[in-house]
Amino acid sequence: MPPWARTALSRIATAALSLWILVTLTFFLAHLTPGGPAYAILGMRATPVGVNQVNMRLGLDVPLWMQYLTYLGHLCTLRLGYSFLLNQPVAHLIVMYAANTLLFTSLSIVVGTLAALAIGMVQGASWNRWPGRLIGAWQLATYATPSFFIAGMLVLVFASTLGWLPAGGITDAHMTEPGPLSYARHLVLPVATVSLIVAASLSRYFGQSVAEELERDYVRTARAKGLGLRDILRGEVARNALRPFITLLGLYLPALFAGSVVVETIFDFPGLGWLLWHAALQQDYPTLIGVVLLIGALTIVGNLAAELANAALDPRLRSRTLA
Amino acid sequence: MLVAGIGLATFVLLLSFIGPLLWPVDPFALGPHSVLSRPSLAHPAGTDDLGRDSLARLISGGATTLTVAIPSAIIAFLAACFYGFAAALGPAWLDRLLMRLLDAILALPSLVVLIFFAALTRLDAAHLAALLGLVSAPSLARLIRNEALAQRERDFILAARQLGASPFYIARVHLLRVMAPILVVNATFLVGDTILALSALSFLGLGVQPPHTSWGGLLESGLTVAPLGAWWLIVPPGGMIFLAMLAASLTGRGLLARAGDRL
Amino acid sequence: MSPPLLRIDNLCVRTRDGGLLVDDVQLDLARGEMLSLVGESGSGKSLTAAAILRLLPRGLVATGRIAFEGADLLALDEASMRAMRGGRIGMVFQNPLSALNPTRTIGRQIADPARLHVGADARQAREMALQMLAEVGIPDPKARIDDYPHQFSGGMRQRVAIAMALVCHPKLLIADEPTTALDPIVAAQILELIGGLRRRHDMAVLFISHNLAVVRAHTDCVQVMYGGRTAERARADVFFAHPRHPYGRALLDAAPDLATVVAAPPGYALPALPGQPPDPLARPPGCAFAPRCPAVAPDCEVAVPPLRRLERSEVACLHPVATPAGPRVPAPEAPMSASTHSSRPSLLEVRDLVVRYDRSRTILDGLSFDLAAGECLGIVGESGSGKSTLGRAVLQMVAYQGRIALQGHDFATLRGRAFRDQRRRIQVVFQDPKESLNPRLSVLHSVAEAARLAQGLPRDASLAAARTLLERVRLGAALYDRLPEAISGGQAQRVAIARALAAKPALVVLDEPTSALDVSTQATLLNLLRSIGRAEGLAWLLISHDLAAIAYMADRIAVLRAGRIVELAPPATLVAQPHDPYTAALVAAATG
Repeated sequence: MPPWARTALSRIATAALSLWILVTLTFFLAHLTPGGPAYAILGMRATPVGVNQVNMRLGLDVPLWMQYLTYLGHLCTLRLGYSFLLNQPVAHLIVMYAANTLLFTSLSIVVGTLAALAIGMVQGASWNRWPGRLIGAWQLATYATPSFFIAGMLVLVFASTLGWLPAGGITDAHMTEPGPLSYARHLVLPVATVSLIVAASLSRYFGQSVAEELERDYVRTARAKGLGLRDILRGEVARNALRPFITLLGLYLPALFAGSVVVETIFDFPGLGWLLWHAALQQDYPTLIGVVLLIGALTIVGNLAAELANAALDPRLRSRTLA
Repeated sequence: MLVAGIGLATFVLLLSFIGPLLWPVDPFALGPHSVLSRPSLAHPAGTDDLGRDSLARLISGGATTLTVAIPSAIIAFLAACFYGFAAALGPAWLDRLLMRLLDAILALPSLVVLIFFAALTRLDAAHLAALLGLVSAPSLARLIRNEALAQRERDFILAARQLGASPFYIARVHLLRVMAPILVVNATFLVGDTILALSALSFLGLGVQPPHTSWGGLLESGLTVAPLGAWWLIVPPGGMIFLAMLAASLTGRGLLARAGDRL
Repeated sequence: MSPPLLRIDNLCVRTRDGGLLVDDVQLDLARGEMLSLVGESGSGKSLTAAAILRLLPRGLVATGRIAFEGADLLALDEASMRAMRGGRIGMVFQNPLSALNPTRTIGRQIADPARLHVGADARQAREMALQMLAEVGIPDPKARIDDYPHQFSGGMRQRVAIAMALVCHPKLLIADEPTTALDPIVAAQILELIGGLRRRHDMAVLFISHNLAVVRAHTDCVQVMYGGRTAERARADVFFAHPRHPYGRALLDAAPDLATVVAAPPGYALPALPGQPPDPLARPPGCAFAPRCPAVAPDCEVAVPPLRRLERSEVACLHPVATPAGPRVPAPEAPMSASTHSSRPSLLEVRDLVVRYDRSRTILDGLSFDLAAGECLGIVGESGSGKSTLGRAVLQMVAYQGRIALQGHDFATLRGRAFRDQRRRIQVVFQDPKESLNPRLSVLHSVAEAARLAQGLPRDASLAAARTLLERVRLGAALYDRLPEAISGGQAQRVAIARALAAKPALVVLDEPTSALDVSTQATLLNLLRSIGRAEGLAWLLISHDLAAIAYMADRIAVLRAGRIVELAPPATLVAQPHDPYTAALVAAATG
């Protein structure tokens, strides 16, 4: 087996294992909370009779390990249960909301990452000098500002005061505009908020990575060959600085999803984060588990994709022969 | 950087904990005659939609936020140290087990885990602090484990083992000493992380529960009345979170720069 | 005489706050000639080379005049300078792996200068790269041109780097320690290659090295630098026959020379230079070498001696060395005890030692040898031969198969405390002095910690023990409170030795103990190790790629190749009649 295939296989196996641990962890955490799901559903004033009924209905009166197996079986067939809050099968619900979230987060990632790459390149090339330092100050300020504060200020300025853009939701209340355009207008502020945060935090990593690469011996060699800074950045450094950055992008996904929970809530944007929040407030237990699992799975798959992309960029892992 | 960070931190701490002595106004006293009044001499930070004094609420919110966030940062730090060192110094199978577990935990954003728990059971301040701490620990735990593993292969540690040092001795005498700067720096960053996470949770209405106030909660209620133009209900709590985060971050980076050549 | 190809006048390199790192250096290099710029760390040799291509680290400024083919390089605009780099002047660096971009094929990296400087299109540039690869001796260039740097061995990588520097046929090649990171045999081949290319292309070479022995056979001129200044310059034959500067002389003497060492009588000790090379930012007022100079006079410490002509040399010294460098006169030492290895009791017994990595790669393939008490066994071999792994196996740091027994006790049969006590009797000193000590423990506490650990002493007793140990490695009390960052490499190595001695070992594994040190301090450390070994009846397992150093230290030498011992003999026998062809090649490379 060539080295890259072995690497890929072991990464996939690791990801699958993580997924299984995640599923198991979620299951036991849910059952270990005081009272268990029945209390969660009925609230703290539940009567023992009510609890028994719910337990029976949910199949919670059988031994834990049998519940666990049933749960695994249901997951494999995508039977995630029924949301009593929104009166729909959870799987349906999730697909609907996930579509919105995926569009929203992938837009934010693309915008944010492209900005981060450009900004980081400038910062890395001028590390410890004024453009680099200015960018560093901006990154620090953005990091220190909570996402909901940024979102709130954007709403205050662009929606409440100027009235240019809608403050939330995904459709126009008066339906005066055609669908896609209205949808796009509703996306502007949430995407702007998240991309700003993504750009600030990722550009810092990329800038640092570029600055580190510029210190390496091969850059000195390139200079001794007569290459200029621009050629070196484009031809030599970019690709090498990109590899740690891609790994980081994978690791950054959880933070991104966390950010989108808050932002979706503020903008009343019906995505997974919004669903999670409502499910949490209403204690809609099956929906909650479904969303948590999906977010975890998306992260693990994202990490896996990042690692595979990273391996593909490294000739040491791609090569046929090793010296 | 370090000086600015410590200065800011002192300001935030003083305002939150000494503030009630300097501005002894009840943060919960309703003021039906001064609803949503702009900043004035009587109310330097204005009043909210129930006429409560915003400055007093800001001070009390700060005290609540910090009394939960700082202990949870300490819990997170201790948990991360314990977990990280156990993985790095224990047998290989333990390391593998702990790291797989960590992979799975890290796949979930900490905020999502917090929301999950907050939904299952209502949390009081102590539980909140503990949970917040445990949820904030994993990434630092991994960092400590990786760092300890790398340090463990350094020549002077190999030489110490040759002299008969036990793993526990190496952790106590060598690793802790060499890793002290990086541990201190990350402990500082943790305080920022927990403040942010707690604020987000409170903002979502799942953190500190009324009648207690917190910066995140104040910001949330400020934003609901924001369309009325009450900017003074948004900027101060947001600004305080910003300053606290900046304080933690600057202090951490300052320490890092100072320890830089010794790491 | 035609004007020189490269002429440097009054070159100074300063830090931003005015610290003088290179102080008024002159240098002349004629067309087609090879000049060796020799010096230790802080001598300014690499900065001088970097200043020529204006590749100084950020924050350093060069002043003076660097005339190359009539142009003043320090006054050129950036675009013309870029045309010089790689076009008219090629440069090769020390570490061939890190000097190449790991994620680009070597073909593309070699083609860069061709595209930049002679306006070749992609196909022509590739053609030129192919030609160059063949010329530097890469077998089957067509098949290898699209490979990545990691697919080549160290020596091959350096050949690739040379091809890259020479693809535009520059008139000057600057080679900054190009052989230092390589094994001796490979290093000799690279030198041979550079010499051949130089003659074929009528190309001048500025060769930077810390090691006089390396350049002896190839160079036309020698320029010795010390503390940022030129100490001496002369034609090679003149210099090697009669070095005039006491430092040049000491440098020549301090590097162990295989023939001298092997022929020397039993009491022979390497002439060692005391002290450390100076910190260029804190030089003494007069001659930088004065504090270490055996012939120092009061006037040396008053003013910096100017470079002046003395017969056929130029030397910056008020009291130049009068006697030519003849065959070395062995310094007498206390006569050795008359015991021979056969009469000594056996200490370490290694039988059929096998170490595998990842279950598939065999690193050590069935080694067997004995080591007597008080004996020094040298292990030589190229990188990858398994010599470091052998040391680690003896130290019980890696898993192995076979038998390793110390004084008859097989480690495999020992458990728990008995194992640890036995293992403690074998100690270790590593290569990198900065890595050998906990960076946050002072010198005294570092040794005291070892004494506490190994002997279970209470605090006060351990401090006293540490003082005794530090005296034994001849470290002055002024250093006791310093942290490792504030002492030199040679001093750090001595602290590491003191730590090892704290365990009262029977055997110490020395893994390349001097290869990270400056040449002038290596001899001091070797002499110290030898006298400690003799005084305490300690046995050494000395691992090194420096055959001369090993021949000086060892009673017997084992030559390792691909995980096996191909030859095991006393130094004199090994050098005079090598049985194995690989040993013969090693000896040839070390003799130069």
